[in-house]
Amino acid sequence: MRADDGSDCHVLVIGSGGAGVRAAIEASGYGDVVLMTKTIPGKGGCTPMAEGGYNAVLREQDSCEIHFGDTMKGGAYLNDPELVSTLVAESPARVADLIRWGAVFDVTEDAMVCQRPFGGQRFPRTCYAGDRTGHEMMVTLIDRLGACDVRVLSEVTALDLLKDGDRVIGAVAIDDCGELLTVTADSTILATGGGTRIYDISTNSSSGTGDGFAIGYRAGAELIDMEMVQFHPTGAVYPYDARGRLVTEAVRGEGGILKNRLGERFMKNYDPERMELSTRDVVARAIATEILEGRGTPHSGVSLDVTHLPRHQIEEKLPVMLEQFLKFGVDIRKEPMEVAPTAHHMMGGMRITRECRTTLPGLFACGETAGGVHGANRLGGNALADTQVFGKRAGEFAGKAEPRRKKIDPEQIRRQEERLAAFLRGNANPAYVVRELRLAMWDGAGIFRTAGGVKDTLKVISRLSKSALIADSSRNLVECCTVQNMLLTASIVCRAALLRPESRGAHTRTDIRQTWDAQNSPFSHTFLAQDREGIGKSGGAA
Amino acid sequence: MKEITVKVSRFDPACDPAPRLETYTVRVNDGARVLHVLHAIHDEIDPSLSYRYCCGSGQCGSCAVQVNGEPVLACMEEAHTGSVIEPLNLPVKKDLVVDLMPALQNLPPLQPKDAPCLPSKEQIDAIKPLRSCIECLACVSVCPAMTVTKFLGPTVMREEMRLALDPRNCDDRIATAVQEGLFTCTSCQACWKVCPKEIEIPGKAIEKLRALANRQGRTLPRHLEVAELIRKTGRSVPRTAESLLEKTGEVIEPYGPVKATVGFFVGCMYNLRQQQSALDAIEVLRRNGIRIIIPKEQVCCGSPLIRTGQLDYIDTLKKRNIETFASRGIDMVLTMCAGCGTTLKNDYRTPFTVIDINELLTKYGIEPPAKLPLRATYHDPCHLMRGQGIRREPRELLRQVVDLVEMPAICCGSGGGVRSGNPDEAAALGKRRGDEIRRTKADVVITSCPFCEFHISGHTDKPVRNIATILLEGYRKKDREAEMR
Repeated sequence: MRADDGSDCHVLVIGSGGAGVRAAIEASGYGDVVLMTKTIPGKGGCTPMAEGGYNAVLREQDSCEIHFGDTMKGGAYLNDPELVSTLVAESPARVADLIRWGAVFDVTEDAMVCQRPFGGQRFPRTCYAGDRTGHEMMVTLIDRLGACDVRVLSEVTALDLLKDGDRVIGAVAIDDCGELLTVTADSTILATGGGTRIYDISTNSSSGTGDGFAIGYRAGAELIDMEMVQFHPTGAVYPYDARGRLVTEAVRGEGGILKNRLGERFMKNYDPERMELSTRDVVARAIATEILEGRGTPHSGVSLDVTHLPRHQIEEKLPVMLEQFLKFGVDIRKEPMEVAPTAHHMMGGMRITRECRTTLPGLFACGETAGGVHGANRLGGNALADTQVFGKRAGEFAGKAEPRRKKIDPEQIRRQEERLAAFLRGNANPAYVVRELRLAMWDGAGIFRTAGGVKDTLKVISRLSKSALIADSSRNLVECCTVQNMLLTASIVCRAALLRPESRGAHTRTDIRQTWDAQNSPFSHTFLAQDREGIGKSGGAA
Repeated sequence: MKEITVKVSRFDPACDPAPRLETYTVRVNDGARVLHVLHAIHDEIDPSLSYRYCCGSGQCGSCAVQVNGEPVLACMEEAHTGSVIEPLNLPVKKDLVVDLMPALQNLPPLQPKDAPCLPSKEQIDAIKPLRSCIECLACVSVCPAMTVTKFLGPTVMREEMRLALDPRNCDDRIATAVQEGLFTCTSCQACWKVCPKEIEIPGKAIEKLRALANRQGRTLPRHLEVAELIRKTGRSVPRTAESLLEKTGEVIEPYGPVKATVGFFVGCMYNLRQQQSALDAIEVLRRNGIRIIIPKEQVCCGSPLIRTGQLDYIDTLKKRNIETFASRGIDMVLTMCAGCGTTLKNDYRTPFTVIDINELLTKYGIEPPAKLPLRATYHDPCHLMRGQGIRREPRELLRQVVDLVEMPAICCGSGGGVRSGNPDEAAALGKRRGDEIRRTKADVVITSCPFCEFHISGHTDKPVRNIATILLEGYRKKDREAEMR
């Protein structure tokens, strides 16, 4: 590393999705901010791909208590109630920020933000911009970011956090040519999004590789509920390379119905009351069961049908769906979509306080990288709200930190250089390692789990983790680092899955019979850190 | 699974003198996109291949590349064997990775008002079509004006129009848009034809901004003069001699049996400046069984006004033209000016169909002309190729009469009021056309638009001919040969 490749700032934000950019905007009011991102801001992460909407209590007939109740129930009561109260209380103000900054949400004739029904909610509270809500938010945030004094390090990938004793003091990173650099900071915010790219079938963008979980874990932070992986009920099933692509819940919100190969509207057998708009864990299991029991379509999916809706409704409310399916030869105005579950969202993550403080001093987390907000199952529309509410809070409390003197431990840099140098001598193709990991995760740590299956997957991960990954040149180093993050994240998911001896929300253990429902579960969060792991008893976090 | 062979541009500016094409053969799944071919090359053959991607579902705009010269999103475009994959026409960082940041940083920010407000549904509905941009910069990579001026480009204009429509924005955007090059756009339509989200930037942003500029008195003086001329004479070209309308009869019968009857919308350029091309076209039509009605009350289609944002007189022109043809019971109106054709087809709501001469001749078929001993290149008029989607037809006609050599389809610089309003820019683009023409080693340049014909003539030493003229030359040669026999 060259000596001049280090810089200092007050707040370092890692990640440029909805949470990271919101955090950077907020933090810029307190001092100089660096936004480090492995993508181009506005293009990376999953926020620009989020389609359906943003939950906020905006109408008199709705209330924060109902939103709180829906979120807790949807989360199988594993959510941290304090974080949920914060989410529902502050979500309306954050959508107001976006609107002030220019977000073009759909509005009604009487000048209210449009809201649509989403699964597991007793009130239609999902605000939207057609079916490109996240993209609309992201362009608005990037526009706002441009007006703030934030230094953006584009296509620079964080490798690990820098530490001074227990305290996090920034990060060491690598640029797109493979050069190491460091950024020290009084506060560091991890907003790197989720990681369901560790599964064979996933909705995530290429950046959803669990970097934040791995980076935080290696630095000593504690993660909670990492077994809680949301499988979105409706992902595309073909062509093969498009498998897993998100088919938004808004399709069902607008009135889309699910049918099996026999033409049966099967949700009546799983949740007759809420039908297609049940919570995602329930709908995903229902679809998976239909397929497993032989009632799936030829491409191993089920039908999601909107052909009964008026054309203009599909064209206006679901334009992205229409366009994407047309590209693959399906006109959703005339024929049903074929869909199946796809790994979508990590409910678990860094343990945080309401101020987004992790268990490590100097380190904050927000968005999908943080855990506890969504419990065992996230409601559609709560993730975009999460990015804004906790992005803002992370930026604010990180910004309020005292400036301090930071001293980089040269040993840490040396270890990093050694790690990178080893990749240039490796022999295992990172692409092959990832392929095997994804299949193993899908097989053993998917929708239905057993201890045996999870252990088998862990064995595969453990073997793969020993491979000497090869980087063709310094430009390829980052691929190797990313694969290591994926392996570590996957192993944490599996270990957490073994720690929870119950079925709850998205975590289904078919090898365990239990006598309790979620509300009466004897367990709370699973937790994992380098020096400890376990599961909390109900009534208080461990 | 199937096997696919592609060529991919490889270039590392740090060590390569120039980009080169490498050929790769990979196995991919059925339905694979271009992105999956790149993945396969990277994973199986050559990990040093650099390319950018992220969402994989057409929503982030990271992966735009050129396939066979056309910008596309790699993640959405189906892969075909034989394709050539190159970076966008932007500064290349490595292989297929281009530097997007300079253009992205030009996007103007919204200046929020202190008092928050929510736009009305009407305002939102107006803004939404401009909002689905994923900033892939395909439009920027094909914009001809940006190559010769400091124009900030189509997507900046798109965002300026959005800001102009948004009640939350507190500063006036029009003066800025003019500074950013609002009047340098040639209306070539290249930007929206490559836009993966099909955002109609020229019509929905640039012309609208020019109309707002007009209200603020920012229309260019030369454009005001043209508007004044149209108001006074009904024509955008000054009358220096007898017009075509005055020279011709109202009904012109074909030489043989009638295959079809059309009303001929002559257009200002053919009426007053390029008359010979129109007279040649009339001969070609007569020879091919087309009965031509030429109503004399027709006036300018209004294109020079619409493209430059001067809209107050448009409805008068439209009404007069529509009535002129409709009152005679004409159900098919022929245009041979690409600009008039695109205006009548896209800016008018007509009770009759509008057909371009190339469409008409290929639809009814032509008597084969004699082949001329000419190597010819064809210049696609923007308002024909992109405005009306007519690309195949002129080629089909030309191959019967000359040896055709292709050149890239790029604007000649005469459209959008640029020739009159920004003559330096028009000349710079014209010069580039001249260079392309020289590279084809063609003896003659053929086109099918009076503006292109006129403008290109000033920038090449090769003769520039209307397609009708060339067809007629073919017929004349045929007649001579028949006589000699």
